[in-house]
Amino acid sequence: MTIALATPTTSSVPTGEALLAATGVATAHGRIPCLRDVAFAVRPGETVGLLGRNGMGKTTLLRTLTGLLSGGPTASIRFRGVDLAGRRPAAIARAGIALVPEGRGIFPNLTVHENLILAARAGPSGKREWTLPRVFDLFPRLAERRANWGDQLSGGEQQMLSIGRALMTNPELLMLDEATEGLAPKVRDEIWKTLRIVAATGMAIVVVDKNLEDLFELADRHVILAKGEVVFEGPTAALTADPALVHRWLGV
Amino acid sequence: MDLVLVQIFNGIQYGFLIFLAASGLTLVFGILGVINLAHGSFYMLGAYLALSLTEATGDVFLACLLGIPLAAVFGWAIERLFIRRLYGRDHLQQVLLTFALILIFNEVQRMLWGNYPHSVPAPTWLSGSIRLTDTLAYPIYRLALTVICAALAAAMFFVIRKTGVGRLIRAGESNREMTELLGFDANRLYGLVFAAGVALAALAGMLAAPVESVYPGIGERILIISFVVVVIGGIGSLEGAFLGALAIGVADALGKVFLPDFAGVLVYALMATVLVVRPAGLFGRTIR
Amino acid sequence: MIRLPSLPVLALLGLLLIGFAALPAFAGPYEVKFATRVLATAVFVLGLDLLIGVTGLVSFGHAAWFGLGAYAVWFVTPPDWEAANLPLALLAAVALPGVVAAVVGLFAVRTRAFYFIMVTLAASQMIFAFFHDTRVAGGSDGASIDVKPALEIAGRTVLDLSNRNALLWLAVAALALAYVFVLTLARSRFGRVLQGLKANETRMNALGFDGAKYKWASFVIAAMVAGLGGAIYASIDGFVPPEILGWRESGLAIMMVVLGGVGSLWGAILGALVYALAEEILKSSDLVGAAISDHWPIAMGVLLIAAVLGAPKGLAGWLPERRARPWSPPADAETSTAAAAPSRPPRLEVDGLRRTFGGLTAVDGVAVAFEPARIHAVIGPNGAGKTTFTNLLSGALPVSGGTIRLDGVDVTALSAPAKARRGIGRSFQRTNVLPGFTVAENCELSAQARGFAGASRAEEARAVAHALAATGLVDRADRTAASLSHGEQRQLEIAMLIASGAKLLILDEPLAGSGPEETARLTALLKDLAVDHTILIIEHDMDAVFACADTVSVLVGGRLLAHGAPDEIRRDAAVREAYLGRFAGLEDAA
Repeated sequence: MTIALATPTTSSVPTGEALLAATGVATAHGRIPCLRDVAFAVRPGETVGLLGRNGMGKTTLLRTLTGLLSGGPTASIRFRGVDLAGRRPAAIARAGIALVPEGRGIFPNLTVHENLILAARAGPSGKREWTLPRVFDLFPRLAERRANWGDQLSGGEQQMLSIGRALMTNPELLMLDEATEGLAPKVRDEIWKTLRIVAATGMAIVVVDKNLEDLFELADRHVILAKGEVVFEGPTAALTADPALVHRWLGV
Repeated sequence: MDLVLVQIFNGIQYGFLIFLAASGLTLVFGILGVINLAHGSFYMLGAYLALSLTEATGDVFLACLLGIPLAAVFGWAIERLFIRRLYGRDHLQQVLLTFALILIFNEVQRMLWGNYPHSVPAPTWLSGSIRLTDTLAYPIYRLALTVICAALAAAMFFVIRKTGVGRLIRAGESNREMTELLGFDANRLYGLVFAAGVALAALAGMLAAPVESVYPGIGERILIISFVVVVIGGIGSLEGAFLGALAIGVADALGKVFLPDFAGVLVYALMATVLVVRPAGLFGRTIR
Repeated sequence: MIRLPSLPVLALLGLLLIGFAALPAFAGPYEVKFATRVLATAVFVLGLDLLIGVTGLVSFGHAAWFGLGAYAVWFVTPPDWEAANLPLALLAAVALPGVVAAVVGLFAVRTRAFYFIMVTLAASQMIFAFFHDTRVAGGSDGASIDVKPALEIAGRTVLDLSNRNALLWLAVAALALAYVFVLTLARSRFGRVLQGLKANETRMNALGFDGAKYKWASFVIAAMVAGLGGAIYASIDGFVPPEILGWRESGLAIMMVVLGGVGSLWGAILGALVYALAEEILKSSDLVGAAISDHWPIAMGVLLIAAVLGAPKGLAGWLPERRARPWSPPADAETSTAAAAPSRPPRLEVDGLRRTFGGLTAVDGVAVAFEPARIHAVIGPNGAGKTTFTNLLSGALPVSGGTIRLDGVDVTALSAPAKARRGIGRSFQRTNVLPGFTVAENCELSAQARGFAGASRAEEARAVAHALAATGLVDRADRTAASLSHGEQRQLEIAMLIASGAKLLILDEPLAGSGPEETARLTALLKDLAVDHTILIIEHDMDAVFACADTVSVLVGGRLLAHGAPDEIRRDAAVREAYLGRFAGLEDAA
């Protein structure tokens, strides 16, 4: 079997101005290597699509960046000029990285309101742009459901809650793992619309998603993972211009 | 008939006390995932603190006020020194280490307070009995104890349900990873929960001191009963522990009257029955 | 895998037993009694290690069986007898705990982990309360055995337990016997299944073993071993206090097992001895000074905490382990591998297969047929219901509707073990081998599942040889599974399925985590195996899927979106849409 590797190393991101610059990330589950020397960078205000088929390491990368997994001894994860490699997830969250995890991570035994105010805090630079009223503005559904328990919500509502809750921590970088998975088309559209609003505020965003069309509309730049390695990295235009490339790494 | 009524009162009061102790156990297991055999020792610690502090201050309630922070600090230190090393380890090692702690605590108790039972006086302003009916009198301290425990249970449910700390505890119980992703340090939460659990057990021991005598094996009896309550209620469930504690308290008190030979078997039989019908206890395991 | 003890261990055990037996020659009555108590405890703890170390069940009520054994001696030695019958006493001491444990075990083995600990604790406390609170056997004062058991043959007293030394020798013999028994049991075919259950119960059920039955049997046997220890204990002072039934004794026994080294069996003996010696030493003011001996439990507690944190493997971890006996192929392996190979691969057919979880439909009316001797791939996005689908096929989950037919026979309602016996074998998303077993032992345990279908030992051995050869693991046969590379572990999983006699292999993401070389090796292996197996794989590695699969089925949202040859699937517009979203359309336009 032969795999022609695209050459990803010519990064278009000068690390000097990066908000997040991770290099040498080599995460393993026990003896099984899941990421092999991955480099990943996000500039301030940029929206990055993280792509790849199932099982290729996208979730593992997000979990490593948030400190839930160790990126191995070679990993360096610089965020706003500070190396976060080896720090605890709580410290990384307070440094300004928020993750909307796969499965949404709603606390089923807290109400919508409680889920949100639990997360409320000022951002790493002291700003409190995202408050309860503003999140309710963004997701009016949540305001209606504020007294319901987390496990009484529909999938779409849970996803809105998960995003709203991440925003309540006033992060500098928002990362979403499969935020539209398993949702009805109308609800998906609403999530995408919301993400465009959030991106317009200047927040940096990393999105893992399977709906390429919507993702291409939202994101500025994309990274494709295959078998734990970065096989493509470049702007949206480079992908839309080359369907064969997309098919090679993401299609059937 | 009066005897039955008195035993029901006693059972409810005993049930409230068990709940104080068991709630700490269920929180520690539900959130930290640690089987803490030394939990009974903290009840014993409370009882003996009540003994010494009541001698010093003259009033068991003053002793409680002083004793709670002492117990909490003690619990925090124990978590730091020992319990923290057990997270994610085998249940077997948790059982063993906390068993070793019991050996140590029991001997320290013997060094400081000796082998003989002691009694702690109820406050003079609560001594005596009140007449409930023509033929029935009931000690005032026991009534006060019931009221205090009920108030504490209510306060506990209030804290868990309505305050920020309670929200964090509930969140940590259902999804530890997510609380960390939101910026809360799990280690600090764990330390807090363990300290609170110790304080609750100790408080139960302090309040019970004037009712029961204070003696060396006092912690072990409450430990086993607390485990039974936790299992009946469903591990990690506060409501379950509450109902389980009252059921066990009343069953135990009535059993002593009607089936004196089998009172000891009764609570375990109750637990076995619950587990056969509902293998995971009465309530699911999340705290709301 | 539990092995025979290494030579240094055997030497140590031999010296210990000789030392115990020779004790009366140079020590006084106190020492002899102490030694007898240690021996009785060691038998008791050995029984517990059978449960904890071999089967993986942590019982917090084991002292109940020890105590029942002791009380049984009291029951069969009424005070008006001239001399009690020793065989009868021993028989009662083993039978009484066995019978009670058989009843308790019915409930206990259905619970897991913490609940198992609590159920066994509750059972033992009920037994304790029964003896402590009622006057059945002396109540809280304990029971006195006035006439100790003795063995009479032809009117001559051969062994009289009121003789201190005779009791000691009996205890030495009992311990030696119990050790050989437990060790032989743990290494037997039965014991191998118990060890498999400890390592991975799900895997064992999927191989066709009924875990609950095996756990129940080991629970009862462990209780009987403990009862033997109890009989010796009761004969020491002729006195049985109810406290020996209680949870403290159970806790101490757990402690001795862990101190000695869980699952080493001989460690249990060492644990009992070391704990007793440590207690004796710490209590002696001559040896450690009054400051410590007055408060010896503190020193003991500190010692135990240090042991838990510092040496999690216990004393057994310090002595060498014996290496596994090398695997050798059966003599007739060359000529008869064909006979061990499955006769004919089956055809699998599902119709209207449905599974709901609450309101969610995970698998929704799937109808598809998988032809024999082909590789069939099932693909689909995350959450499409692929793993649920395999769980339904293998019987790990009951279906909500529809039928599953294997060669035309309806197997829908069969349990996982029953389906395994019909030749449906499955691997799991996460590698699921038994890490402490060698490669050959993993396969031997799997081959044992063939016994359900009436295979002989020779056929089992041939199946192991065949499985190792077919998966290219012959030269790895004696390595422990834990020491294999990731790719080799996945090969071993497949070898285990073949050894178990599976004709339909359901492989859940066999290539996950594999690098390019491993992927190539595994796909080549699958192609070889497809000659005499029907293979179903769930996989995300599209290159590999399209390189080796004969048919591809696409699941989306629990429904079968498409099924056909790889090329047809590649061209299918609906499938492309499912994978690439609306971008699939753009791609066509471009």
